[in-house]
Amino acid sequence: MASPGLRPDRMNRIDIQRGLADVTDEEVRRLCDFVYRKTGMMFAEEKRYYINRRLAERMEATGSTSFQVYFATLRADADNEIEHLINSFTVNETYFYREDHQFRCLTSTLLEVITPKKKAGEPVRIWSVPCSTGEEPYSIAIWLLENWDKVDRYEIEIVGSDIDTTVLRAAEAGTYGERALMRLSKDMIARYFTKLDDGRYRILPELSSTLQFTKANIVNAGQTGAHRNFDVIFCRNILMYFDDTSRRLAAENLYESLRPGGFICLGHTESMSRITSLFDVCRFSDAIVYRRPLGESHG
Amino acid sequence: MPLKKQESSHEAAGRAPEPLEVLVEELRHSDPERRWSAARRLGERPGAAAALAAALPGEADPRILEAIFTSLIRLGGDESASFLLPLLRSDDAALRGGAIEALQAMPAALATQIEGLLQDPDSDVRIFAVELTRKMPAEQATALLCRMLDGEEHPNVCAAAVDVLAEIGSAEAVPFLERCRARFDRDSFLAYAISQALHGLSRTAT
Amino acid sequence: MDEIMAKRRVLVVDDSAMVRRYIRDALEHGQFEVQEAFNGVEAMEKVLSTPFDLLVVDVNMPKMDGYTFLHALRARGGEIATIPALMTSTEAGPQDMAAGYAAGANYYLVKPVRQDDLVDHANALTGRSP
Repeated sequence: MASPGLRPDRMNRIDIQRGLADVTDEEVRRLCDFVYRKTGMMFAEEKRYYINRRLAERMEATGSTSFQVYFATLRADADNEIEHLINSFTVNETYFYREDHQFRCLTSTLLEVITPKKKAGEPVRIWSVPCSTGEEPYSIAIWLLENWDKVDRYEIEIVGSDIDTTVLRAAEAGTYGERALMRLSKDMIARYFTKLDDGRYRILPELSSTLQFTKANIVNAGQTGAHRNFDVIFCRNILMYFDDTSRRLAAENLYESLRPGGFICLGHTESMSRITSLFDVCRFSDAIVYRRPLGESHG
Repeated sequence: MPLKKQESSHEAAGRAPEPLEVLVEELRHSDPERRWSAARRLGERPGAAAALAAALPGEADPRILEAIFTSLIRLGGDESASFLLPLLRSDDAALRGGAIEALQAMPAALATQIEGLLQDPDSDVRIFAVELTRKMPAEQATALLCRMLDGEEHPNVCAAAVDVLAEIGSAEAVPFLERCRARFDRDSFLAYAISQALHGLSRTAT
Repeated sequence: MDEIMAKRRVLVVDDSAMVRRYIRDALEHGQFEVQEAFNGVEAMEKVLSTPFDLLVVDVNMPKMDGYTFLHALRARGGEIATIPALMTSTEAGPQDMAAGYAAGANYYLVKPVRQDDLVDHANALTGRSP
């Protein structure tokens, strides 16, 4: 029965009591096909009910009076709707040791491939971009200190970059709430952070001062050109939100920022298959990683 | 601690750009690194479209091909499109594919050409033209594909149109899809595809 | 006790969701397990992650076409390089077929493909009679 005060068009498109969208199986399939084509994410693997709820949220948020209207909005990517839809399916929080299986891959495999080729004194260079408020580059530093048996044998340069100077300043300051540290053991927190009076934690200055934080827009070759010769790039959960052309440009810029034979890691729901074929695909036990070919390059 | 902060390196501020002809020459260099670099830099140089396009057929390195296509996208416009359109007829799948993707990024430049391509005597070209409409504004693409469908005899071209309409289509497409289905064998892939498409569009009629 | 034969696993590589679904239908009826990939790059990711008994590969796909993918796969060597591959395409010319075999296809089928033909060829390439 209609509740007083609800508009008839809302009653049509959303089952108010259950927060579900009024969509058919075939419409959900159209949505899943589109998202899969665009991003490589397979929503079809999720439960139908879960997709339906996310769809209802987005239809509500965009004021869409029907699936068709919503789908047109999504296809046109109006107001970054693709990003909003994907975000409704994924955990977006940034925290220390997020997707750490890639850090495991870094020490167990990538660095084992990279370090034999290093000349004496040549540093290992790692780029975290976008670095946001710094959780990722600091995580890399901590992981290496905790897990890499050769960490004392090589100089390691970690650079964190972002387009947003506000987050960069926060990264340099290096203070975090308890929630961001939830995946770190108490011992690790004690080793690398100081607890502040307000209950937040600051990363040790020895760590924050050894990382470099820079502004960079990865779609802009002029800016990435100042970031070169990296052995490993972590570029997670950003390319999937770019339009097709920007993705290609960014991929080419990142390719140039890598040394020949260098590796690049994307977010675990992302794939180079929707971006570029520049990189070789590598499958290691912990992750799919992409590699700039060795080629005949000089340095 | 072994972590070391890199000395910040400031690149020399804005060196003077090389003359266009020099970069164009580099596109033919024997060193792939030089060709790659030239392909990338030419994407910022108006007037470079012709030279970039001319380098495509002779370039064997798929990475450099990709960089050339990206530069043509960046330059954009009718000029780039005019060089890319003939590649739809190429025997080389990589050149065709690269051209299709590049053209999809230039929907405005396609507007005057697309109708003719959808009527091209070569059914392969018509199939590629259909794919080009996928990234055009949905209403425009739907109208073009529906018009084409009524007169199209080749099942693969129809199937290509059905695939795109399944994604972008709306109520207008329904009668065209139904008419098309009636013209072909019930057991075919095309009949299957049309039924699927119709299911997805069945509630779009207001 | 009847032997339970493990299902043969097929990777269907095509940028059209319709085509993938049609082929999936046919092959699942033919007792295959089916996975999908959108283009040659994703196909490489999947092939490196999971053992497959057969590939069904389209030619025209964004980012990496079927010829380039097969060629790269065969060049990698090792077990994955020898996975049988059925190539499908709208292109019907002799040069397209020749290119398919040169890239490493075991068989080349011109679209539109009938579902029963698909299953027959899939059985043939995975060494089982229907």
